[in-house]
Amino acid sequence: MPIPSWGLTRRLIPAIAAASLAVAQTPPPAALPILQTNCQPCHSSALKSSGLSVATREALLEGGNRGPALKPGDAANSTLVKAVEQTGDLKMPPGRKLSPEQVATIRDWVQSGADWPASATGTTSSAKPKKGYDWWAFQPVKRAEPPAVADARWSANPIDRFIYARLEKEHLKPSPEASKETLIRRVSIDLTGLLPSPAEVREFVADTRPDAYEKLVDRLLASPNYGERWGRHWLDVARYADSDGYTIDAPRQIWKYRDWVLNAINKDMPFSQFVIEQIAGDMLPNPTTDQLIATGFHRNTPSNFEGGIDFEQYRVEAVVDRISTTGSAFLGLTVGCARCHDHKFDPLTQKEFYQLFAFFNNSDEITTEAERYDFNRPILEVPSPEEIARKKAFDSQFRALSRELITYVRELAAKGVKDTASDPELVERVQNLRELRRREPKFTTTLVMRELPKPRDAYVQLGGDFLRKGIPVQPAVPAFLPQLPAGATSRLDFAKWLVDPKNPLTARVTVNRFWQEYFGKGLVETENDFGAQGNQPTHPELLDYLANEFMARNWSQKAIHRLIVTSAAYKQSSKERQDLEEVDPYNKLLARQNRLRLDAEIVRDAALSASGLLTDKVGGPSVYTPIPEGAMSVTQVAGAWPTETGPNRYRRGLYTFFRRSAAFPGLLVFDAPDATSACTRRVRSNTPLQALTTLNDEAFLEFAEGLAARILKEAPEDNKERIRYGFQLALGRGPRADELERIERHLARMTDEYKSHPSKATELIYKGGKFTPEGVPANPPPPKLAAMLPKDLQLEATWTGVARVLLNLDDFLTRE
Amino acid sequence: MTPEDLQLQFETRRHFFGRCGLGLGKAALLSMLTDGKAFSAPPAPVNPMAPHPGHFPAKAKNVIYLFMAGAPSQFELFDYKPELQKYHNKPVPDSMMAGKRFAFMDTFAKERPKLLGTNRAFKQYGQSGAWFSELIPNIGSIADDITFVKGLAAENFNHGPAKCYTNTGSTRFGRPSMGAWITYGLGSESSDLPGFVVLQSGPRGPRGGAALWSSGFLPTAYQGVPFRSGGDPILDLSRPQGIDAQIQRETLDTIRDLNLSQMAESGDPEIATRVASYEMAYKMQTSGPELIDFAKESKETLEMYGAVPGQASYANNCLLARRLIERGVRFVQLYHTDWDHHFDLGQPLEQVTREIDKATAALVRDLKQRGLLKDTLVVWGGEFGRTPMGEVREVGGKTGRNHHIDAFTIWMAGGGVKPGLTVGETDEFGFSPTGDKMDVHDIHATMLHLLGLDHQKLTFKFQGRNFRLTDVAGNVIPKLFT
Repeated sequence: MPIPSWGLTRRLIPAIAAASLAVAQTPPPAALPILQTNCQPCHSSALKSSGLSVATREALLEGGNRGPALKPGDAANSTLVKAVEQTGDLKMPPGRKLSPEQVATIRDWVQSGADWPASATGTTSSAKPKKGYDWWAFQPVKRAEPPAVADARWSANPIDRFIYARLEKEHLKPSPEASKETLIRRVSIDLTGLLPSPAEVREFVADTRPDAYEKLVDRLLASPNYGERWGRHWLDVARYADSDGYTIDAPRQIWKYRDWVLNAINKDMPFSQFVIEQIAGDMLPNPTTDQLIATGFHRNTPSNFEGGIDFEQYRVEAVVDRISTTGSAFLGLTVGCARCHDHKFDPLTQKEFYQLFAFFNNSDEITTEAERYDFNRPILEVPSPEEIARKKAFDSQFRALSRELITYVRELAAKGVKDTASDPELVERVQNLRELRRREPKFTTTLVMRELPKPRDAYVQLGGDFLRKGIPVQPAVPAFLPQLPAGATSRLDFAKWLVDPKNPLTARVTVNRFWQEYFGKGLVETENDFGAQGNQPTHPELLDYLANEFMARNWSQKAIHRLIVTSAAYKQSSKERQDLEEVDPYNKLLARQNRLRLDAEIVRDAALSASGLLTDKVGGPSVYTPIPEGAMSVTQVAGAWPTETGPNRYRRGLYTFFRRSAAFPGLLVFDAPDATSACTRRVRSNTPLQALTTLNDEAFLEFAEGLAARILKEAPEDNKERIRYGFQLALGRGPRADELERIERHLARMTDEYKSHPSKATELIYKGGKFTPEGVPANPPPPKLAAMLPKDLQLEATWTGVARVLLNLDDFLTRE
Repeated sequence: MTPEDLQLQFETRRHFFGRCGLGLGKAALLSMLTDGKAFSAPPAPVNPMAPHPGHFPAKAKNVIYLFMAGAPSQFELFDYKPELQKYHNKPVPDSMMAGKRFAFMDTFAKERPKLLGTNRAFKQYGQSGAWFSELIPNIGSIADDITFVKGLAAENFNHGPAKCYTNTGSTRFGRPSMGAWITYGLGSESSDLPGFVVLQSGPRGPRGGAALWSSGFLPTAYQGVPFRSGGDPILDLSRPQGIDAQIQRETLDTIRDLNLSQMAESGDPEIATRVASYEMAYKMQTSGPELIDFAKESKETLEMYGAVPGQASYANNCLLARRLIERGVRFVQLYHTDWDHHFDLGQPLEQVTREIDKATAALVRDLKQRGLLKDTLVVWGGEFGRTPMGEVREVGGKTGRNHHIDAFTIWMAGGGVKPGLTVGETDEFGFSPTGDKMDVHDIHATMLHLLGLDHQKLTFKFQGRNFRLTDVAGNVIPKLFT
């Protein structure tokens, strides 16, 4: 820290007084020690809280986020004086007041010209790194060599050498590999979010080739379901939802962006490109439609269209959200903390927050009430070929009818009809045309970014209030990170900076999130805070190794997934070990795998795949899967919910229409994110409401019925065989002896029950068991399920009783 | 255990189980123990909803929050302002408008709004002599049980963000709501009902929806559970048709046995928590229907509330709120919508006050006669107030009032609040507070205080920062309870 000669804290004064006096011929103005003691702890030349340093006269003249702090000779208009007088909104020092004498001293000093003798300014030691700049996460990614280890199984994959070496240091042995049944179920869930079929399990278990597992991994990575699983992970970060949020929370169309994510991940688009297109696809030269759709990433911000709002206020909120999301998604930093003041723990200043803001401040969104009609601007029309064909047909029909109308009007005129308005045929023709116009086919649209021709002015917003403008700012990246070249001030420049190999954060943060999905927590446990308040990595060299590999392998996500899931560390058994409980109860060192509760969508998807009901279609508009009655009326505008009866009823969870203010209960109860801000890690909670969902919900009952029907159809006609097959379908393994015996007992009870009460079976399958006068069930199962059902409803009901057990087992709802 | 220990408990519980445990919020990502001493032995697990004491002895145990969504007009209900009558139809003084922002600002900018006197008759009630309008005579009759806070300030003049502010202390969506904070701080006495229940009535749901009872970054276990007004109170509470109670019980027994077998196999104690939550779900299936069954309520009670069994209404919800509190539920929040009277303070306001007047008074009276009021804090209020000026946008020759965030009125009863007072005051037009400035954060701080919680200590670490309901503000208002 620089040490000006004019006084220090009282304790230090005697020590250096002699030296100071030796330099200073005249005593420094009395105001300066007051500033030094009271202001400089925050407003030093190194800390510059709110951009202001009080270390020199020049620094005060330059000022901070509020502009110049000092107007020599004009105390009344000097921010410094107003701040210490505490007459305005700025009250300094925070939480206390200088004595009236001290305030008067400062006021008089400013009024008399703020004289500042050269001798009173100390030398500044600018060579010293600024506070916090030396934090590990801000240092370049280092090329780490995997350590050599003695164990053969643990030296094939570089990841394992890091893990094993660390375990060795603690004298711990890793766990054995999980069974092949467990492995295929684990890796299928982790890579595709679906269960393996019994045939796939059988095949894999029987495959004795040394690279059987690698082949399996490659097959899963090539499956379009991989894009659904990992696409959903990214959609958490992107706070994707199908509605506007806030007050009205009307439906919005942005599912094209969701599909873009799925496709990009399936194509293994390099992550660098993936980022650039999402942040600034619109600014690429001659952007393709896909590149424009990609910019929906930052249009997933909630938007407020309530009556009587100031649109500019909510535009600013959206920009702030974009900065915060960018911070947690790529930089792993709590950037949003610097909105109102300098970051308390990381070296990010408030001014730097608004410099980031300036990159994102220029998208062409509405700012005034007069533009309300255009509320979700910019929107891109993205018609499908069918939509274009339909529109063409419409246009020609409309043209034809219009022409006929004109001809008819001319005819009337020719006939000399004056009162054309009451001509019945004309009225009808006009009516028809209006009717047709109402049915004009609409194109699918999606929200995109579009840059204004002239950037908006950006300012520091004092206290985070958009109405209180501080100093103007230009786009720039934080000073503690690698800098952009001069003149690089566009959103595109910023996007490229995020994925520049010199950026120490993006690659680390991204591979850490991958790791977290596979092991339950990241190498850095605080996945969205790599700053000073976050945790240090448990395996720093491994983190850097993976980050490096990610970049070196052209940012291939598939390459990193493959690297992780083929490691011995990943393939370990998750069985608890007494010896580890004592020394590593949090399993930070990974001497075993972790059992993980399934994500919300995967709970549904796993049940769908076990039941055989899954409609495995990738992409398309969001769907309305069955929802408990009344679930959509918790918000202002009760949304329409046209429950699907066709194949869309059995789509994967990620396609369910997501309304922010009334989120789909079956997903929310299993901790699906609420899409109000970027979610970089899901909660895994435990509430009885989850049990109620999987036990009683209409959707899960259908899954159980499907599973029962499938068991009856596909397994040999023998109870033990059927139970075994049910276990295979749901758990990917056969039952243990005690499990078999227990389920048999349950089966016997269910058989008794439905034999003695056959009407209950009808009630179960036909939802209430009512029939029309013609003898047709009043509530028949949906067609897809109905097609699977056996004729014997008692048998179906009995086995539904077994299937409900299987779909509620902890084992089923968990990734081993 | 004190609330400060809570986060530690969650953290260590999670680590005890060696994975991202149960009922854990995003905040729980932060490892509680520093890296250096990460290998110490964890303590025993804790149920996140187990009741526990706060920081100091509490005056109140439970809360019933009657949220009047849309912002009721204080001038038509509680704030008797003769001067406003006198200056009725006069343009509002420039000095009052200077620097102020309002909803629908463009309309106020076009034409200077005029002061609007009420045409409602007011009279004084009870020992306290508090004023009430003709619209709410029943609430007037409990004047001596309630205490007003007047001149209260909110932060945002739009409904959604303002509701969010009143509920979460922030205008940005995604923060934990007060019900979540309170159940996090105290747990719940009920073991077979959720600790935080949300009830709704009125023509639509509240603006903002689920964000208003969100658990934000707190453990999801503290999320408010909305009860439906018809059918099952809780989603999926009923067994499917064709599954009778016996089948359900046997199914649960089989699930339990198989889960315990798997626990022996994998050694994962987390499975025990799954087993426990299935048991609680089963209990809810019994306690839920019992809760909403008003058969044992006397005719007098039903009449006092105006509740009709089976008919969804605010009155039914008030009665349900009392029943929830009796069963140990910590925080019950009622939303009643349709208070946004921009254009007509006549029939629409009469309707909504008719819907709430009798039942609100009945709730307070019923709680009192059953000895529950002393432990139960009742709060009545909206997200902001309304302007003393009329709308510039007249519709059909009628006018109403715009949103106003500088000086609105709420009231409280029970739970240690000193009854019969009015804290805070406003100028002769009811435009600005004249006494101490009070903000929604101060109400939150006071509510927590009454519940035995220090609002500065009830924190949760998220993204590197200790968050609290009152953000960086909030002062307890001692006048309310001393």
